[in-house]
Amino acid sequence: MNEVGILFERGKLFLPHVMMAAGAMEAGVALLEADLPKDAASKKLGVIVNGTVEGDVHDIGKSIVSTMLQSSGFEVHDIGRDVPLQDFIDKIKETNANMVGMSALMTTTLPGQKEVIEMLKEQGMRDGIKVMVGGAPATQAWAEKIGADCYAENASEAVSKAKELLL
Amino acid sequence: MTTEYALRMGDGKRVFLTKEQIMADLEEGSADAADLGGIPALSGDEIDKLAEILMTPSRMVGVEPGKEVPVTHDIGTIRIDGDQGNSGVGIPSSRLIGSMMHERAFGADTMELGHIDYSFKPVKPVIAQEMQTMEVCQQNMIVPLLYGAMPNMGLYYTPDGPFENPGDLMKAFKIKEAQESMEHAADHLTRDTVWIMQRLMASGADGVNFDTIGAAGDGDMFASLHAIEALRKQFPDIYIEAGMAGELLLGLHGEMEYDGTVLAGLWPHQQAPLAAKAGANVFGPVVNTNTSKTSPWNLGRAVTFVKAAVKDSPIPCHVNMGMGVGGIPMFETPTIDAVSRASKAMVEIAGVDGI
Repeated sequence: MNEVGILFERGKLFLPHVMMAAGAMEAGVALLEADLPKDAASKKLGVIVNGTVEGDVHDIGKSIVSTMLQSSGFEVHDIGRDVPLQDFIDKIKETNANMVGMSALMTTTLPGQKEVIEMLKEQGMRDGIKVMVGGAPATQAWAEKIGADCYAENASEAVSKAKELLL
Repeated sequence: MTTEYALRMGDGKRVFLTKEQIMADLEEGSADAADLGGIPALSGDEIDKLAEILMTPSRMVGVEPGKEVPVTHDIGTIRIDGDQGNSGVGIPSSRLIGSMMHERAFGADTMELGHIDYSFKPVKPVIAQEMQTMEVCQQNMIVPLLYGAMPNMGLYYTPDGPFENPGDLMKAFKIKEAQESMEHAADHLTRDTVWIMQRLMASGADGVNFDTIGAAGDGDMFASLHAIEALRKQFPDIYIEAGMAGELLLGLHGEMEYDGTVLAGLWPHQQAPLAAKAGANVFGPVVNTNTSKTSPWNLGRAVTFVKAAVKDSPIPCHVNMGMGVGGIPMFETPTIDAVSRASKAMVEIAGVDGI
């Protein structure tokens, strides 16, 4: 899957191919499960809630990120697009997530990412969760300004940064 | 003390770089494009010229006399009036006034009429208004006025459209179903685009600008190329600009073909001949800015991609320059120092025919 990820990043393989590879890997792991130590086969790398913030209907980039995270071994809860900010908080509580990913494709909806971080702080949840932001108008400088843990430029970077923060 | 030059990161932040750092980043950016696209990196002379442009002490720069190119402005019709965080300046004005200001005050050589939603699909319910506005604009303007919108195939998926969302299907490992959904959406997008342009051509439009082709992946380009082909057949004199969404055509479907070429994974120099084959008059290459890299890195990379596209394109290339594209920082209102330097580089080194 690491090799598939590199080829995806280089524009040589695409989403359907990544999913086929992930499916093949899951099937392979299922076959080997009996020979693996208990828990090793089904252990997820982390639990991530991912969505596009309220007011923003863009879906495609966020979905690619969700798919890549899922195929890399994370448990991903994609809560869709135009997601009311409170829903991020509720889903984090419900799934006991380690990380939340927030996408915004418009400068007008970008502040939603900041608001969720503020809501996490208000509810005393901020220390227990990593925050990743992305989307066309998001930048590293923006991530630093609002106090996110990381910014990812694309889906491949989202996977590598999630691994850096959660493993 | 070593001289440092005030430049920018891809997110617009100020950085101060020495000549050596600028040269190194230019070379690295160019090498990245060459590696990904399988195209030549810029020569030593070209890197020197790029560095010279970046290090010019003036706040803004321009092309050498005699090298001027045509410029146009997408959705400029609402750029004056717009004030919704979209880099508009919030001066109350109609779309006609916006167009005429660009034509008569700002020096735009062509313009386009665009709708605030700026995708083809939402134009359908307001087609009568768009037709009337096009007619009024044409009666008042001299420069060619196109109609512009984004193909934006994502609008045909649930919850906006009739077809199941391939993103959801893909996550459920329903790959075949996801591909079929994209194929259905592409057919509808082609049909809608042609229908809309038939009416706008009846209202006097000079042509159409496909803005951000491929934003929803290879299906988006598949649909756009077929729409271009159909429009060229129906209107032999229509002026068609095919502008892209990014340097790499994402393969959300992965297997769609046009004229025997798999669309997924095409780079600008491979996209241009297909746009020409379909019937476009002008190809608009786009290279997205990496916000974590410096402007020399981004500009070296963008110029390398666009130069290869210009070389391989049978039709003129009008490069897309602005917020987060063409080596320009991702900034709400891009700064003039970055815009003018990147534009000069695109004209004098990449050899573009227009902006």
